[in-house]
Amino acid sequence: MANRRILWAAAVACCLAWSARAAEPAAPTSPPKPENPPASSPPPKPESPPPSSPPPTPAAPDELPYVYTNWKHFTVADGLPNDHIFAVKADGNKVWVGTENGLALIDKRQGKVVRSWQEKDGLPFQAVTAIEVDKKTGDVWLGLFGGGLARYSGGRFDHFNQFNSGLVNDVVYGIAMQGDNVWAATTAGCSRYNTVTGEWKIFNEKNAPMEEIWNYGVAYDGKDKMYLAVWGSGCLEFDLKKDAEKRGDPWKVYLDPDGEMEIDLYRDDGIVHVIITGVSPVNEVLWISSYFGCCRYDGRHWRGIYAHETGLPSDFTNNVKARSENECWFAHDKGLGVFADFPTETVVTYTRDPNTLRGKAEVFRNGKVLKTVDMERAVPHSFIINIDHDGSDTWVATGKGLGWAIGDGYYAGLKKDPDWMKGAVKISDPVPSSETAPAPAPAKQ
Amino acid sequence: MLSRGVWLAAIAAVFCWGDWISMTATAAPARPKQPVYVGAKVCAECHDGAHMGNQFNIWLQSRHAGAFTSLAMPEARQIARWSGIPGEPQQSVYCLGCHATAAEAEPWERDATFFAKDGIQCEKCHGPGSEYADEDVMMDREAAMRAGLVIPTKDFCVNCHVEKGSHRIVLGPAKFNLDDAWNQIAHPTPKDWKLEVNGLVVKSQPNDATGAKYTGSAACSECHFGSSSGYQFSKWRDSAHADAYAKLGTAEALEIAAKAGVKDDPRQSTDCLKCHASAYRDTAGYLDSYVDYEGVGCEACHGPGSDHADEVSSRTDPQVALKVKMKKAAREDCMVCHADAHGKPFDFDAALKKIAHPSVAPVVENEPTYKSPLNVTLRPGARELYVVCNTSNSVVIVDAAAGKPVGEIPVGGQPIDVAFTDDGARAFVSNRLDDSVSVIDTQTRKVTATIHVGDEPHGVLVDTARKHLYVLNTSSDTIAVIDIETLEPIKRLAAGRSPWDLAMTADGQRIYVSNMYSNFVPRHRPSVSEVSVIDAERVVADSRPLVNGANLIQGVATHPSGRFTLVTLLRTKNLVPMTRALQGWTITNGLGVIWADGKVDQVLLDQPGLFFPDPAAMAITPDGKWALVISSSTDRVAVVDIEKLIAMLESATPQEREKIIPNHLGKSSEFVVGMISTGVCPRGLLITPDGKTAYVANSLDDTLSVIDIARRELVGSIDLGGPRVITQVRYGDRLFHSANITFRRQFSCSSCHPDGHIDKITYDTEPDGIGVDPVDNKTLRGILDTAPFKWNGKNPTFSRQCGARLSCFFTRIQPFNAEELAALDLFICTIPRPPNYFRPLGAPLTDTQSRGRAIFTRTMTNDGRVIPVENRCTTCHFPPLYTDRRLHDVGTRVDDDTSGVFDTPHLSNIYDSAPFLHNGMAPSLEEIWTRYNPNDTHGISNDMTKDQLNDLVEYLKTL
Repeated sequence: MANRRILWAAAVACCLAWSARAAEPAAPTSPPKPENPPASSPPPKPESPPPSSPPPTPAAPDELPYVYTNWKHFTVADGLPNDHIFAVKADGNKVWVGTENGLALIDKRQGKVVRSWQEKDGLPFQAVTAIEVDKKTGDVWLGLFGGGLARYSGGRFDHFNQFNSGLVNDVVYGIAMQGDNVWAATTAGCSRYNTVTGEWKIFNEKNAPMEEIWNYGVAYDGKDKMYLAVWGSGCLEFDLKKDAEKRGDPWKVYLDPDGEMEIDLYRDDGIVHVIITGVSPVNEVLWISSYFGCCRYDGRHWRGIYAHETGLPSDFTNNVKARSENECWFAHDKGLGVFADFPTETVVTYTRDPNTLRGKAEVFRNGKVLKTVDMERAVPHSFIINIDHDGSDTWVATGKGLGWAIGDGYYAGLKKDPDWMKGAVKISDPVPSSETAPAPAPAKQ
Repeated sequence: MLSRGVWLAAIAAVFCWGDWISMTATAAPARPKQPVYVGAKVCAECHDGAHMGNQFNIWLQSRHAGAFTSLAMPEARQIARWSGIPGEPQQSVYCLGCHATAAEAEPWERDATFFAKDGIQCEKCHGPGSEYADEDVMMDREAAMRAGLVIPTKDFCVNCHVEKGSHRIVLGPAKFNLDDAWNQIAHPTPKDWKLEVNGLVVKSQPNDATGAKYTGSAACSECHFGSSSGYQFSKWRDSAHADAYAKLGTAEALEIAAKAGVKDDPRQSTDCLKCHASAYRDTAGYLDSYVDYEGVGCEACHGPGSDHADEVSSRTDPQVALKVKMKKAAREDCMVCHADAHGKPFDFDAALKKIAHPSVAPVVENEPTYKSPLNVTLRPGARELYVVCNTSNSVVIVDAAAGKPVGEIPVGGQPIDVAFTDDGARAFVSNRLDDSVSVIDTQTRKVTATIHVGDEPHGVLVDTARKHLYVLNTSSDTIAVIDIETLEPIKRLAAGRSPWDLAMTADGQRIYVSNMYSNFVPRHRPSVSEVSVIDAERVVADSRPLVNGANLIQGVATHPSGRFTLVTLLRTKNLVPMTRALQGWTITNGLGVIWADGKVDQVLLDQPGLFFPDPAAMAITPDGKWALVISSSTDRVAVVDIEKLIAMLESATPQEREKIIPNHLGKSSEFVVGMISTGVCPRGLLITPDGKTAYVANSLDDTLSVIDIARRELVGSIDLGGPRVITQVRYGDRLFHSANITFRRQFSCSSCHPDGHIDKITYDTEPDGIGVDPVDNKTLRGILDTAPFKWNGKNPTFSRQCGARLSCFFTRIQPFNAEELAALDLFICTIPRPPNYFRPLGAPLTDTQSRGRAIFTRTMTNDGRVIPVENRCTTCHFPPLYTDRRLHDVGTRVDDDTSGVFDTPHLSNIYDSAPFLHNGMAPSLEEIWTRYNPNDTHGISNDMTKDQLNDLVEYLKTL
């Protein structure tokens, strides 16, 4: 029991760090440097430079991405058990919301919270940091930040933790479903639970190329690969086919090739940093987030993505959720960043003005502002923690409330004279002044 | 004599045995260096001859060397039956655990030189020898022990030589005396020992002849083994011929040899070997696989067999007659040696009879095969009843109009339930033993396909409209959903604990699943069971209403109105001493009313003077007026007036419905309107679509009872064609499933041990105060040889366990008489262990399981500390039963225990026995070590990493 309390204390400390940041105004702060950088030596420098990324495709200034101008917020006042939203998952008309102190269910048709659970209601642990839905069985799997895993099935919770099951650690950051397997990214490695055979398997430094075992995220590409986002050990690709067939090494490691913690020595040579926070595979493309910038990998080209070049709110990125190979959403500490059209380097950011409490979207191309959109509300808070796409809509978990970006008329890519410009928003063209300058220089500059 | 290297190469090329005990080092992945078994003959390279005290020779003549072949005796089969072990003793890991060496080892742990049929060999007691067998290691005792050499104490012998109930029944009381036995097998090393590797090798034997050579009897055993060959190899191995070489190492032989002018060791004299071994009577020569140790082997009489063996091993069609045949032994062959042999008289005919080994399988006296019908279903569109017969592994088809069986379809092992497609064209039968579902074409009455499902499938249901087959995997706690067109699995839904039976609502929107076992509850808390409700449209878990205080929820039937579903249940008062039976308060039995909104009511079917124990199944008439419920241990069907039942509930206050009615013995008289007697132990119930007739499957008299529902009368009985004779086992089965032994017929043995297994709850059994010494129930599957019984080990035999003690503490009525007790004991003894779901017989361990085994058998901690012998897993959980059958304190005592010393439980199919530890406080295997072993008193576990613990758990599940 004592051990459990210590773990919980450590977990809560991390969680509270998020919350504390979330409670602050979105003041520019430098991302924290890791106290214990990875011990291993960096991989050798590439003998030949990596293939260059294709140059951006030109686009006319009036070709604009979709901008979400219709937002709905959910907070404690709307029935959420807590305002610190750690996870959100859309499943048809159900939207599951994990908070620092409970789980909530939103019925999308009714547009309201229809049920919530705290420990007194049977939820095995208060902090819900990850949610995944088993599409086959309809069961909902919850990652509990210090409480292990919970399965919500038939209206009740079943609890799996490091004491009563083979789960490697109770601090769970991420979950992914892969067939009948539940993968859980934890602070001491990644666990895989087969819901049919009941077998648990652990992936850690013993059987995976993990220099560090603090797993922040896990994702399935829908085909035959799993991706782990590991603090200090980059992104790990696990080939399910090779593993099943016991053929060769199933692991492939994506580390920061330059091995530098503070600078990105060689541009677009790999992931931007070994401390990564999330990975989102889609259509053979990997989108990766870190506290020091983000990146994209199409199987041949790496592309580093920094705030000062793109207009994204920050390099400090808590999570990532791709919608396609060309559109990806980043959860930053200073706002929501959307790489809306990769070929043309068109970005949309969403922030909340801490003074006026109004919402703001900005459209960037190649790091320069194209449009600024003022609206009644955008994200509920600028500290973004988690994102989930739901058809045309997107759900955004923040440090203070949940945002529902309603995507009526959504389109992918760019469009001239889009409909969203006709709504109740105030659109302004860029003013060349310091106020519209891109975000502060990142740590890796 | 051959060196170990030559052995390895030679035998690897010649021998191969069944999967279970392959002798060769099969293609195994690279593994860390670990000791492997090399076999007794490798030991013999140094440990034979007078200079080493003839140690090998002493073993060769011991009963240990014949332990394996003794399993071919008829008595062995009887013992196996008493132990609940089906099949050949020589292939049962339980028998081999004490009758062979390395039985539990993986194939890679047996070197090519290892020959399993040599029985209890040196390494059984001294540990696998590969790492200490080399002379440079063996010369240093300490180094050898570091490399794995074990010097056993007498205590080690007891692990196998402790008396087993099965052996006592067949062989009588054990005559084993440990001290005497220790002296008999004593093989001390002489003080003036000297090392002579291969000191007894006979070097003068010619070996360059052409033609067939001697290949050794081990090669013959490849084919001439097992019951199909009449146990020919085992018969030879048990004969004096097999000891002929070993005899040459005795003092008597030395004396005879000396008189004959043989100065050296007779085992090196070709004159002696001509009649005491196989290959010295001619100049044919021998292969490297041949060894003198085998004595007068098969080839001594039948001639050198290498060509025969070669042809056998190379042929592709076993039906084609062999060109090279072995010589038929003749009188003169025998007389060459036996005529005037050392002055001993020889009666040829008597000797021939003694060694006769016809290739004929022995006649096995089988028990009659009963039908044991468990369920009955009407085939849609036909007047055919499909009756699922559990022990005949078949479905008997009954013409409902004629009331006679008209066909029988063999299906898988232990079939349980049957369901049809709406058109009646196909039937699906769950086979509990085989973990499968048989698909029957009802036109041809043949099984057309078999579907592998989860562990111990039970109830089945077909949703024809959606093309779904639901199968309840009762030991996997899952519900398999299968496409009835492709027969491919679609998904597996999570169920409660042990899903048992299921029923669909009239509108086809919901499926209600009964879960037999209570959910895990904290200590000193009553049971809480649940019913799983499935959304049939979306095929997801819809809800899981809780039934407080209930367990063994089995029967389920939906009401046509859709307002509620009825389930059968027990309300076991396991938290107070069982002697409360006198107060009518040990186990009550009734119905659960699961309302559509998830609310639950409970009512009892018991009456104060006559209970309604083991309500195993139920059905509701199509008009919704009547519910018929079976009491399997009082052979009755209760007729429930549903309208009255619901009216009674709806007229009660919420508090009465929650607190009073669930325990009220007087309420059943308000809605139970009739009781109808059935055959013996009814288990399944069918109401015809017209609502007029009910058929009851009587599992222990092989009949169907026919009930006229309107008249509430038994109107007929249909004989399914089972044997008339009632064997002792069958009689015991009936006693086990009868509540007649209990005061006011409150419960039967099966109330706590359904189907001979367990109800998985913790009982306060003895009247020593409420809540004192609660103990987890134990399974009866394969229990016989695990005496003593009870967690405190106080009951040495079943006779005591089930005799007066049962009457005193549980049933509170006259105990079984001697005849009944004998039959009951026999039945319980023969309750088999189901096949292990996680490791099918003969299957190799997976990598994970193999790593777990290394943890289970480890002698060192992760940081290199030696684990004391008394704290190693295998010390107390000694194979093959994985119990040393002794009492130990592993530090699990809690405040309500009066002692911390408990009987070591066996680990067979341990995955199916949760919760664990003496009081069931560990719901999962993991918790035994993550929560309840803080001081490393239950094995050393706190140095283990989580992945090691996971591996260990995966291995334990294979035992």
